[in-house]
Amino acid sequence: MILLLTVIVISTFGVVMVYSSSYVWAEYKFNDPFKYVKHQLLFLIIGVFLMMFISKVHYQNYYNKANTILLVCLGLLVLVLIPGIGTLRNGSRSWFGIGSFGIQPSEFTKLGLIIFTAKYLHNNEKHLKNIKKGVLPILGITLLVFGLIMLQPDFGTGVIIVMAIIGMLFVGGVDFRFFFKIAIVGLVGVVSLIAVAPYRLSRILSFLNPWSDPLGTGFQIIQSLYAIGPGGLFGFGLGNSRQKHFYLPEPQTDFIFSIISEEFGFLGIVIISTLFLVIIVRGFKIARNCENLFGKYLAFGITFQLAFQTVMNLMVVVGLIPVTGVTLPFLSYGGSSLLITLVGMGILLNISRYQK
Amino acid sequence: MFLKGIHKRIRIILLIIVFLFATIVGKVFYIQVIQYDKLSSYALSLWSRNLPIAADRGKIYDRNGVVLADNITTTSLVLIPSQITNKEEVAEKISAILGITYEEMYAHVNKSTSINIVHPEGRRLDYETADAISALNLDGVYLVKESKRTYPFGSSLSHTLGFVGIDNQGLSGLELMYDSYLTGSSGAIKYFSDAKGNKLELSEIYVEPQDGINITLTINSEIQESLERELDNAIAKYNPDSALGIVMNPNTGEILAISSRPNFDPENYQDYTVEEINRNLPIWSTYEPGSTFKIVTLAASLEEKIVDLNNDTYYDSGSITVEGAKLRCWKQGGHGLQTYLQVVENSCNPGFVNLGLKLGKETLFEYIENFGFGSKTGIDLNGEGTGILFDIDDVGLLELATTSFGQGISVTPIQQITAVSAAINGGYLYQPYIVKSLNDPETNSVIKENTSTLVRKVISEDTSEKVRYALESVVANGTGRNAYIDGYRVGGKTGTAQKVEDGQYLVGNYIVSFIGFLPADDPQVVIYIAVDNAKGVTQYGGTIAAPIARNVLLDAIDILDIEKSEDALPKEYNYTDKKYVTVPSVTGMSLKDALKQLKEFKVEFSGTGNTVEYQSPAAMESLYEGSTIRLMLK
Repeated sequence: MILLLTVIVISTFGVVMVYSSSYVWAEYKFNDPFKYVKHQLLFLIIGVFLMMFISKVHYQNYYNKANTILLVCLGLLVLVLIPGIGTLRNGSRSWFGIGSFGIQPSEFTKLGLIIFTAKYLHNNEKHLKNIKKGVLPILGITLLVFGLIMLQPDFGTGVIIVMAIIGMLFVGGVDFRFFFKIAIVGLVGVVSLIAVAPYRLSRILSFLNPWSDPLGTGFQIIQSLYAIGPGGLFGFGLGNSRQKHFYLPEPQTDFIFSIISEEFGFLGIVIISTLFLVIIVRGFKIARNCENLFGKYLAFGITFQLAFQTVMNLMVVVGLIPVTGVTLPFLSYGGSSLLITLVGMGILLNISRYQK
Repeated sequence: MFLKGIHKRIRIILLIIVFLFATIVGKVFYIQVIQYDKLSSYALSLWSRNLPIAADRGKIYDRNGVVLADNITTTSLVLIPSQITNKEEVAEKISAILGITYEEMYAHVNKSTSINIVHPEGRRLDYETADAISALNLDGVYLVKESKRTYPFGSSLSHTLGFVGIDNQGLSGLELMYDSYLTGSSGAIKYFSDAKGNKLELSEIYVEPQDGINITLTINSEIQESLERELDNAIAKYNPDSALGIVMNPNTGEILAISSRPNFDPENYQDYTVEEINRNLPIWSTYEPGSTFKIVTLAASLEEKIVDLNNDTYYDSGSITVEGAKLRCWKQGGHGLQTYLQVVENSCNPGFVNLGLKLGKETLFEYIENFGFGSKTGIDLNGEGTGILFDIDDVGLLELATTSFGQGISVTPIQQITAVSAAINGGYLYQPYIVKSLNDPETNSVIKENTSTLVRKVISEDTSEKVRYALESVVANGTGRNAYIDGYRVGGKTGTAQKVEDGQYLVGNYIVSFIGFLPADDPQVVIYIAVDNAKGVTQYGGTIAAPIARNVLLDAIDILDIEKSEDALPKEYNYTDKKYVTVPSVTGMSLKDALKQLKEFKVEFSGTGNTVEYQSPAAMESLYEGSTIRLMLK
C-alpha cells in the first residue's frame, strides 16, 4: 500500500511539474501550453490502469514468456534503427513515431532484459560461480542490447541497462573479483582513450567547472545551477521558476529536477528524495521477502534499475557527473518511460502479494 | 545460506544508493544554501533587465546657498526591442513624432540589444513630444527621466564651474575635478525577462537613484556678478586681449569671486575654442607682475628693518645704474627727493631698486619664495600655473634690481593676491581655496568642510601694519588714487607690466593691474584686477585697473556690509605736509547744521538739546583735519 500510494503521489506530482516546467516552451513551440502535460496526463492514466492490471497478473507469467519478450524487444530495437520506421529526434533514432506520440523500444527493453536476466539467474544458480559458463552468456546478451541501443545512439539508456544487469549479477552471487576486473578493464579503456586524445579529459571534467565553457559543454549544467541555487531553502513557489522561461532548454525532460528545486527549494528536494527512497526501500524489501528466486531477482532488478536511473539523473542535474541524457523516473516528461516505470511498479506490487 | 548472500548484497546495494542520495541532497544543500548568494546574484543578472533612471547630478552652490549649477529634468525615449510586438507600427508612429525617417526608426526597434536609446533625437524630449509618445501606450516603448545640467548665471564663473557632456559627465573645471562626487549612481526599474527578452509578469524592483553630492563654494555670487559686470564693461570700453579678476578674503584664503575674459557659455561649450574654455586665466596665466610686486620688496624691507618709511629718504634722479645698465623710473626726470613712503606712493622704480640692493639677493628671494612665488598656491582648481623665478645662482645685481620692482620674473594672478593677502593680514600666507564644503544631496548637511589652511607666517604683525599703512597712502595720495572710496580705508598698489614675447618686450602692449583691499586697518576683502593690452588709452594700472577694482569694492562694501571708517585717510592728503583746516563758527547753530559744517572734524558733544551753545576750539583756529571739536548743547 505504501508503495502504491507513493507511486501515485510522485507520478501525479510529476504531471504537475511537467506542466509547470513545460508550458512556456509548449506555448512557444506549439502555441498550446498544455501540449506536453496532456500527453503526460494521458500516459499517467493509461499507466496507472496498466499498473493496477499488471499487479493482478502473476509474475510467473513473465518467467514463461521471458524469451519471447526479449526477442520482441530485440526485434523492435533493430526495427527502430531503420530509417522510415524509426524517427529521428534530437539526433537519435530511438522512437517509433505515431503522430506526435513516440514509443521508445529501448524503454521496453529495459524491462524485458531484466525479466530475461531474472529467469537466467534463476535457472543458472549453480553456474554463477563459473564466469565462463555462468556470466559470459548473459553478459553477451546484455552487450548485444547495449550495442543496438548505442546504434540509435542512446548512451544513457544503454548504461542503465548494463548497470542493471551487472547489479543483478552481483546480487546473484557472482564473484566480487569479476566486477573488479570489469572495473579495471573499463578504467584502462577510459585511461587509454584519454591518453590517445587528452581533450577528452577536459571534456569529461568540464562538469566540475562548467564555467570553463559556459556556452558549450557547461551550458546545461550552468542553467541547471541557476535554477537550483536561487531556489534556496523554500523555493519561489509552484509555477514561479524563472529558468523555465527559455533559459533552460526543454526543462520538462532531463532537467525537471532543477525546476523542482527552483520552485520548491531545498525542502522540496528533501521530500522528493524521500519519496524515491521510500519506493526503493520498499522495492528491495519486496525482493528480500520474495521466496521465489525469479521473483526476487525480478523485484531487485526493477528496483535497482529505477534507483540507478534516478541517482544518475540527479547527479547530472546537480553537477556531480557529466551530462549523459537520462530522464528522471516518474517526473520527467516521456510517455514510454512513465508507462514502463509504472508497469515495473505493477510487477513489484504483484510480487509483494506473494510474500511470506 | 545462498539467500543470505543475496540479501547481504541487496543491503550493500541499498547502502550505496542511500549514500548516493545523501551525496545528492548534500550537493543540493551546497548549491542552494552555501552558494545561494553567488548563484542568485548571477542568476538575477541573467534574468533582470534594467530600465535606467538617471540620478541627479550634485548641485553647486555659492557660499550663501545660491545655486550656480542646477539640473532640469527631461524625459528620454527608451526602447526594449524584444518587447515591441508590432515593429512596423512603432517605427511608423515614433518616427513621425520625433521627425526622423521610418527606416532609421525601424532599425532602432529591430536592434538586437536589450535596451536601445534613440540618440540623440529621442533624448531630452520636450513636454509635448514626451506626452505624444506616452499617449500611444506602446509595448516596449518607455520614457525615462533624464536630467540636464543648467547654469542659472550663464557664463558667470564658467572657467571655474566647467561644464558637462551629453551624458552629464564632467568635462572641465569643478565639474570635472569633482565628477566622482557630483555624479550620483543611477537607479533602475529592474524587471524580469525570459531568455528571449520578453518581460515576465513578475514584480518589478525599483532601485532608487542616488543623487550626486552637492558642492558649496566660497564664492559670493553677488560679488561674482559685480566682477563679471565690471569685466564686461572693461571689455566694452578697452577691447583688451584679456581681462581677469579675483576677489578673496585675505584672512582665510577663500575665493569670493574669480573670473576672466574671454569666458564661455557652459551650456553651449561647443561654440568655443579649446583655449577659451581651458584657460582659467586667474590661475593659469603667468606674466611679469610689474609694480604690484613691489609690495613684496616693501614687506621684506620693513621686516628686515632696513628702511624707515617716514624718516629715510631717497633721491630719484629718474634712473639708477646697476652693473652698467640704466634702469629708468617710469616718471621722466624722476621724483626728486622723497621719503620712502613717497617712493611707495609714487611707485618709484629706482627707490625700490635701492631697497632690493640693500636686502641682497638671498634675503629678497627668500621672502619671494616665502610669499609663495615660484610654486603653485595649491588652490583646488585644475590648471594652475607655477610662474618662473630667476635661479638664485644666476641672480646678479641687475636681476636683483629688476626683481625688486617686479620685472624679469613671471607669476600668476592667484600667487599675487595670495601673497598680498599675507602681506596685509598680519603676515599669514593661506592656501587659497574655492570649495567650501561637500553636502549631502538630501539634507544638504555638510559631509566634508574645507577650512583655511595656513601655509606659513611670512612677516610680523607689525610689518604687516606698516605695509597696510603704506598701501593705504598709495590710494590716498599716490598712483592708486582712482580706487579711492570716500569714507573707506582702501589700500592698494598699481602695476603696469610690459609683456614679453620671444624674449623681447613688446612695445605699447602692457598688462595693467591693480591690487586693492579694504578696510586698510582690518582688511576684509582683497581684489586683484588685470587687463591685458587695453586699446585706445594710456595703459596704466592706475587709470584702467584701479577704477574696475573700485567699482567691485563698492559693491563688496554693500554685499559684505563693511562699515565706514571714521579715520580714513583723505584723498590727495599729503602725509608729510599735514593739511590744516580752519574751524568754522557753529555757535548758535542747530546740531544738524553744525555737524554739516564740521564734516572734516570729529565731533564730540555734551549736554542735551539741539542748539550749540559753545564750541572748543573756537572759530577761526587752524586744526589738523580729523581733529576733535567739542560742542556743548542747550
